[in-house]
Amino acid sequence: MSPLFIGLLTIMILVCLLPWLSHMGQGSNIAQKILTQIERLVRGAFYLSAGCGLLIALAQMAAVISRNVFGVNFIWLQESAIYLFAAMFLMAGGAVLLMDAHVRVDIFYARWTEKRQRWINLAGLHFFVIPVGLLIIWASAPYVHTSWSSFEGSQDPSGIQGVFLLKTLIPVFGALLIMAAAVRVGDLLEGRRHG
Amino acid sequence: MDDVILCLCTWSTWLDIAMVVTLCVLLLAGFPAAFTLAGTALIFGLWGLAVGAFDPSFIAEPFPIRIFGTMNNTVLLALPMFILMGVILERSKIAEELLDTMAKMFGGTRGGLGISVMLVGALLAASTGIVGATVVTMGLLSLPTMLRRGYDPGLASGTIAAAGTLGQIIPPSIVLILLGDVMSNAYQESQLAQGIFAPKAVSVGDLFAGALVPGLLLVVIYLLYIGGVALFRGHKAPAVPPEERIALSEIGPRLIGTLVPPVLLIVAVLGSILAGKATATEAASIGAIGALLIAGSREDCGDRLSRLLSFAGIIAIIILIILNETLDLRLGRESNSFLEKTGIITALMTCGVLALSIVAASRALFQRAILWPVLKKTAEVNGMVFTILIGAALFSLVFKGLGGDETIAAALSQTPGGVVGAMIVVMLVLFILGFFLDFIEITLVAIPIVAPALLTMGVDPIWLGVMLAINLQTSFLTPPFGFALFYLRGVAPPAIRTTQIYRGALPFVLIQILMLIILAFFPDLATALPSAIYG
Repeated sequence: MSPLFIGLLTIMILVCLLPWLSHMGQGSNIAQKILTQIERLVRGAFYLSAGCGLLIALAQMAAVISRNVFGVNFIWLQESAIYLFAAMFLMAGGAVLLMDAHVRVDIFYARWTEKRQRWINLAGLHFFVIPVGLLIIWASAPYVHTSWSSFEGSQDPSGIQGVFLLKTLIPVFGALLIMAAAVRVGDLLEGRRHG
Repeated sequence: MDDVILCLCTWSTWLDIAMVVTLCVLLLAGFPAAFTLAGTALIFGLWGLAVGAFDPSFIAEPFPIRIFGTMNNTVLLALPMFILMGVILERSKIAEELLDTMAKMFGGTRGGLGISVMLVGALLAASTGIVGATVVTMGLLSLPTMLRRGYDPGLASGTIAAAGTLGQIIPPSIVLILLGDVMSNAYQESQLAQGIFAPKAVSVGDLFAGALVPGLLLVVIYLLYIGGVALFRGHKAPAVPPEERIALSEIGPRLIGTLVPPVLLIVAVLGSILAGKATATEAASIGAIGALLIAGSREDCGDRLSRLLSFAGIIAIIILIILNETLDLRLGRESNSFLEKTGIITALMTCGVLALSIVAASRALFQRAILWPVLKKTAEVNGMVFTILIGAALFSLVFKGLGGDETIAAALSQTPGGVVGAMIVVMLVLFILGFFLDFIEITLVAIPIVAPALLTMGVDPIWLGVMLAINLQTSFLTPPFGFALFYLRGVAPPAIRTTQIYRGALPFVLIQILMLIILAFFPDLATALPSAIYG
């Protein structure tokens, strides 16, 4: 694994410690300040993702019209819809966690006390979300590294030569999940609610 | 220590089953399903590694490739655009106005209001394809109206819940798009397993075409039921008092204003897919932009200029379609007739108008604080769906690594009654799963596990897809766990008792089961249209 990914994994593990540091160290609020910035980052990614929604439809429609009406096939136009699409859902995943909008099976959950829900969320964030985020970064490291080492481009010469950037979104998704999880842990520990 | 290892190792053949059981238990704890799926997979993956059931590279190598496969998938690319189209239609009050006009049109006769709710529900279902959204919208809009007019609370809530679940089966539905992706993978897998190396494919278009007739048939049976209630139990579905009706002369223009644009949009989107003119993804882009322009041309959504421009955009799309059908507009050919040259210039100018109108409509909707919430909602739904997709990918990788697919195939092949028995078992299991899981999870987790085995036994993939979709729809309507009923309970006034909602849903559940039986005996209902269209 390249040092870059080891660095990323280390940073992510440190990020996960932040809410606990902030919770325990009553005096210093540096950890809390960093968490606030992390939250901004996750939300910023979500805004980009929301913007992509309209652009996907525009790019796809432009591709349809140019090909079906004028018989001109712009590979890059079709590919840009794919790029926007991938960016959209991969950059939204973390923020959806922050907004608590992922679907739950709430047959029992909805009836439980707030304290119990808090425990479930804390357990889920630590045992499911953070390890899965780390797994995504770890598993994608060699995959993305290979792509970067040749600056992998489109299979078509007139396509977008940025497949290595597209693939980089996979570890970014993992990192956003972990960062969102850390922010959520912080909120749950301090008893804050998110809208 | 040796004893512990021995104990863990004897588990290794049971790990796949233990994994599914653990998943079900953990899901009930209520943590978001996407991460419960992935987390369970991680735990059992580590356990499998510990007992040597598989190699770490078995997960680490294919997992990012699977994720990239999702990113690079032109079929799934249709999803965000259909979701965008649905959210625009929902948020710009088009549904609300439709229901109002329809209710005034049909309200004069007994049962008329119920019938218009069902029709609008079907239309909304076709346009959004999101069950939760349709049930909530319809519940908020029409339940109070129906109750005020003296409708039986059971009949009213049953009608709304049933109308809402139509979003699953009437194309273009999100379930069918996801199912299309899952089915085509399962079909290829089963054919390769049988040694067929030039496998046939199933497309989303196939599933859309397959689901169209059964979906519309369901609507017809629903309508017959409401009509029957109105005929024989008139007090349950009374007519609207005369002073609340509007004159026939007023209905005409209102109908053109409210009904025609969304219906035209749906017909254009579905028609171009079914006619083979466009893939679902290509049609979805026209649908999303079309919805944007329709919303922009509404009275409450913008100033005069932007309304006019949005309307011009709708006309521009229609002109482009007509020009494309009548003339050969391809650029860069040797000989163009004068007519074709004029056509090309007109088409280019029309494209300019279209671009301008999109800017105007977006700007107007943005200023009215509609566009940004719509885009945020779209990103949210997409983030949710695709996170589950990634979680499900990890789950199925580990499940297969533990030999789960072989266990399922063996279990199904040993079911008494051959294919029919296996089919019934699968349908029952998925029906029960539908009480606990959302359709996205079932489609992405359960169906890839069972479908290859069934397809290998010779079941038709399109028929199977449609049967599964109707089955899940039934499940979501069945008390006491049905999702649609939950959503409805959430927005229904407290005066309505939950048992009334349950009782109202029962007749529709029976209709669903009837439909499944009909489809089981006449599979042509699902398979005839796709084979007629696509051959």
